[in-house]
Amino acid sequence: MRASQWMWLPALVISTSAHATTYFTVEQAQRAIFPGATLTATASPNAWRTSNGGYFVVTRVIGKHEYITLAVGINPNGTVKQIEIMQYIESYGYEVREAHWRAQFVGKSASSPLELNNDITNISGATLSSRHVTEGVKRVLQQVASLKGKQ
Amino acid sequence: MRRARPLLGTYVEIEAAGLAESTLEHAIDAAFGAIARVHRLMSFHDGDSDVSRLNRHAAFETVTVDGWTAKVLRKARALFDATDGLFDCAVGHELMRSGCLPSQDLSHVESGSFSAVELLSDDRVRFSAPVAIDLGGIAKGFAVDRAMATLRAQGVCEALVNAGGDMRVMGKAARTIHIRCPGLDGRAVQAGLLRNAAIATSDAAATVMKQRGRLASPDSRHAYSVVAPTCLLADALTKVLVQTQDAHAGYFARFGAIAFVTSADIIEDRVA
Repeated sequence: MRASQWMWLPALVISTSAHATTYFTVEQAQRAIFPGATLTATASPNAWRTSNGGYFVVTRVIGKHEYITLAVGINPNGTVKQIEIMQYIESYGYEVREAHWRAQFVGKSASSPLELNNDITNISGATLSSRHVTEGVKRVLQQVASLKGKQ
Repeated sequence: MRRARPLLGTYVEIEAAGLAESTLEHAIDAAFGAIARVHRLMSFHDGDSDVSRLNRHAAFETVTVDGWTAKVLRKARALFDATDGLFDCAVGHELMRSGCLPSQDLSHVESGSFSAVELLSDDRVRFSAPVAIDLGGIAKGFAVDRAMATLRAQGVCEALVNAGGDMRVMGKAARTIHIRCPGLDGRAVQAGLLRNAAIATSDAAATVMKQRGRLASPDSRHAYSVVAPTCLLADALTKVLVQTQDAHAGYFARFGAIAFVTSADIIEDRVA
């Protein structure tokens, strides 16, 4: 039973320092947050308006090691409807060192557990704070208030 | 299908497969809803949460909590007992004193232990001493478990839920798991494959300890991981492992768990 849960690999090997995941394109995120709604462009290239006064805004937030693209849906009454992460990139800026490390493993067997950039998922470890996302959403709410004022 | 949302103060990722897109979308949405519910019930920062109500009132009167909160408290009690008090959620006093948590309306709180938390019938709770609890060491794992249960209830058989490093996988496929180890500049170590189980990893900086009533901070070049049948157990038991650094303690096996420590020093030696 235990063995089926957790199988050890023979070697413990360092992987690369960055990973990136794309969850949504803009259109997919629009459909996910406002299903069936028609969205029209606004004066801001990153904001769209629904026919009943809601807004869809794409924004980017930068943390210490993370670059995150967010889609924020705003209800007609100005409250947040839904937040979706569209793209998540985590980077520690060790590219030069990484290239060197990677070179050491070129030509190893196909079963070598070394991963290429962007392939790393399922990382268990110290929690990354989503504080910057909260700040990004605040900016979006201010932007929407300003867009509404221009109507 | 993979989706991510900011919840529980971190990024929660849910991946599900094996069903029609619209079904998966609905299931993932419901699973995020379960995590948001745990967040609302168990946040120390939210004044209306069960945890905040308990900390304000349970020392003076009986407080009725949500069934989910009662379940987490029962598990926390079982872990407190099994680890001779090493897993102790009554750390509110220490966290407030060190400025990690807000202390508004909690001036009555004193240092104490989880033995003061009395779980009565019908999800009622009372504190026999003026302690404050923080479920930060267990609620995230529970949230992952609830998300997984929600996915399963929607018919999903292949899924992964990762709440800032506390993760659980379901399905036939074994998943490669990486560990983020302090001292390696964010690089991740491939640790093994996981199937139908959960894993959580803590480092010393992220863990609260009550050695002689003070927060202690041991070596920070180690990652402390626990693989367990549920993410609640994995999450909670990492907090014990950080304190004892003993991966062979008997309580790990008693909970069906495996503990291990990843050291930045050993890894750097191997690849040098």
